[in-house]
Amino acid sequence: MRESPRQIIVLAISFALLAALPWIAGAVGRPDFVTLGSQACVMAIAAASLDLLMGRTGLPSFGHAAWLGLGAYTVGILAFHARDLGPWALQAWAVWPLAVLVPAALAAVIGALCLRTSGISFIMITLAFAQMFFFLFVALKTYGGDDGLTLRRRSTIPGIAPRDDVAFFYVCLVALVLVLLLLRRVAASRFGTVLDGIRQNERRMMAMGLAPFPYKLAAFVLSAAIAGLAGALHVNLFRFASPDVLHWTMSGELMVMVVLGGLGSLWGAVFGAAAMVVLHAVLAQWTEHWQIVLGPILVAVVLLARRGVWGALGGK
Amino acid sequence: MSALLEVRGLAKRFGGLVATDGLNLDVQAGEIHALIGPNGAGKTTAIAQIAGELRPDAGTIRLAGQDVTALPVPARVKAGMTRSFQITQVLMQSTALANVAMVEQVRQGHSFRLWRPAARDERLLAPARAMLQRVGLAARADVAAEDLSHGERRQLELAMALATHPRLLLLDEPMAGLGATESAAMTALLAALKQEVAILLVEHDMDAVFALADRITVLEGGRVIASGAPDAIRADPAVREAYLGAA
Amino acid sequence: MILLLEQLLNGLQFGVMLFLMAAGLTLVFGIMGLINLAHGSLYMIGAYAAAWATLQTGSFLLGLLAGLTAAAVIGMALEAAILRRLYAREHLDQVLATFGVILFCNEAVAMIFGRQPLMAGPPAWLSGSVEIVPGVPYPVYRLAIIATGLVVAAGLYLLISRTRIGMLVRAGATHRELVGALGVRIGLLYTAVFGLGALLAGLAGALTGPLLAVQVGMGERILITTFVVIVIGGLGSVRGALAGAMLVGMVDTLTRGFLPAALRAVLPASEADALGSGLSSMAVFILMAIVLLWRPRGLFPAHA
Repeated sequence: MRESPRQIIVLAISFALLAALPWIAGAVGRPDFVTLGSQACVMAIAAASLDLLMGRTGLPSFGHAAWLGLGAYTVGILAFHARDLGPWALQAWAVWPLAVLVPAALAAVIGALCLRTSGISFIMITLAFAQMFFFLFVALKTYGGDDGLTLRRRSTIPGIAPRDDVAFFYVCLVALVLVLLLLRRVAASRFGTVLDGIRQNERRMMAMGLAPFPYKLAAFVLSAAIAGLAGALHVNLFRFASPDVLHWTMSGELMVMVVLGGLGSLWGAVFGAAAMVVLHAVLAQWTEHWQIVLGPILVAVVLLARRGVWGALGGK
Repeated sequence: MSALLEVRGLAKRFGGLVATDGLNLDVQAGEIHALIGPNGAGKTTAIAQIAGELRPDAGTIRLAGQDVTALPVPARVKAGMTRSFQITQVLMQSTALANVAMVEQVRQGHSFRLWRPAARDERLLAPARAMLQRVGLAARADVAAEDLSHGERRQLELAMALATHPRLLLLDEPMAGLGATESAAMTALLAALKQEVAILLVEHDMDAVFALADRITVLEGGRVIASGAPDAIRADPAVREAYLGAA
Repeated sequence: MILLLEQLLNGLQFGVMLFLMAAGLTLVFGIMGLINLAHGSLYMIGAYAAAWATLQTGSFLLGLLAGLTAAAVIGMALEAAILRRLYAREHLDQVLATFGVILFCNEAVAMIFGRQPLMAGPPAWLSGSVEIVPGVPYPVYRLAIIATGLVVAAGLYLLISRTRIGMLVRAGATHRELVGALGVRIGLLYTAVFGLGALLAGLAGALTGPLLAVQVGMGERILITTFVVIVIGGLGSVRGALAGAMLVGMVDTLTRGFLPAALRAVLPASEADALGSGLSSMAVFILMAIVLLWRPRGLFPAHA
């Protein structure tokens, strides 16, 4: 988990560049870069939360988009009912914690079911449950169904103008940094040590006297909670919650981000997310059929470059 | 006084194959009890059932009078019974010290502590270092398990089993793959342990078995064909025919 | 009563389709240890090739042949080029690489055929209805699908339980080294098994095409339902795939058919329809949850 000197330098430069992004965007006359930066931060939060499961605990969940989507819809649905619920339903301090708690609570139930299986069944069943939420929101015509739910204005944060994209970018960046510090701290704690042990050799952990289930479930719930936060930011960024956020391709892309960056390295998830967001933007500009390029890139990465971007930086 | 471990009528079959056939076995506090038999006699299957990894079809297992037959593995470890593995099972990417510290952490109670770093926690490291010292691995504490030699990993495996502070150790071929010097060192180590922990020892190294064991039980086809003091076993004609004679 | 019979047959028909998908997926997993997300793409390829060829030639049978050929050939090419390298890899690698294959296939199909769905109805000689019992008409084409599916299921059973290939397949699942030692060219066996799975997926796609719109994304929709089938039936077991497919086909069809109407008895019509469609699209997942609570390894777990 210790970073190499080269990795620390890259990390410092990356975050300095990210912090300066609004100026850079202004200088090159591309204000859309700010939105891209916010998107990268949001996806990085989601990918980092998935890395806690996949990289730390060894649980490859193929349904992570569910928690992202539930976080987004929690914010969207509360805003939709704000007239009946009162002004608190538009306040970030009230709504965002709920966007964390709702996915966490559902993850406690669904995680308990999914963790009865392991290996390939776990991959399949997490995918299936996530798709269940997708179908549910497609069927909920009240909240837009297929078309999604528009958020009329961003959640209110005192001192920040709702239309200020630069300010919102910094909200996302601060959230990302806080999440990363939290996850790093957790990874080094007794709890994180146990998760790492479960990933390495679950049978040995049991022979030490450890019952793995509660720890795996706690990791599942924590990971969903953080993804819920990413969802709250996502819906605010685009002022739009759509079933696409819940779609299984989103789960797949989150997995790709984690692996692209380097499994289990936390920072790797950040780089993987940034790389995917940029790749999307570049390919989409070039051709409408950008997925025909992305697909083979994925296959090549899996077959040839298994350690990911971050691992390659670490040398060895 | 009843025995520390009492196994009664243990039975397990896989399809048509009878792996354990009405096994009765006692391990007294303070003794080393060896379980021997030819390959396929059902020794490892018996250990797996006693440790709780495999559910028996019939029979009971009692530890210090408590019926543990239905308990899962972690609960049996908490009750005082720990196994080691024939094929080394350690956390390969962690250091020797971290491996033992992990056991100490689990022994100290739940690990729902999400904030304080564990890697420099002396409450974990001090006992872990002491345990490595004891099995003779102190100098290699900071080496990752995957970089240890096979013999060193066997020592680590033993250290990890001991770190649970068991009353009964189930050792599945601790000498497997060791050279002559290493085997002798391991034998001395086990002999010294006898004061504080009872051992059920599955082992193919007959020199070690006869040097260490207070009692020996011989399995064949999942059934006990003889049980008694080493000298009696050595002289037993059924054993000689089934096992020692063939060896 | 009439409606119930009709829905039961619809459920059977959907179950048969799911079985064709699940059998291939579970065989490939059981024998090669591969989880192939692109199985849904083979279904889509079968459907597109069949619909396109039917529209071009006007012959349903030529279309069916084109669908089967396209799925099997592309499937085996895929196996030889990419998937073969994944057998020994972790499941995670398999998932990611085949995810990449899906993105490629979907986009390629969209580029070739456009985003508009292809429509090719059943042929004249299979359209119309027959009365299965007096007063209950049922579409001939759906009956033909059911019959085909049942014949394939029986054929698969005979293939696996009675033939030398089936023996190798069964042995290969549990004793990979042993089969290699028997002098069987295991690579060839794997390609053949994969081709069989692809053929079944292509058949499912080609047969389903005339019943619904052939469009990009159809593969993943059925793939995920197929996963539910396999989790319920037990990974790697063809018998489990059959049981799971029938269960899922019935539950899905019957809840969609009857739940909204049942809810309308207690709720206002519009709310009942919304809730009913939401709940019935979740029904198979709830079924999966129940089965997992009861039997975590599925109804017919293969010996792992």
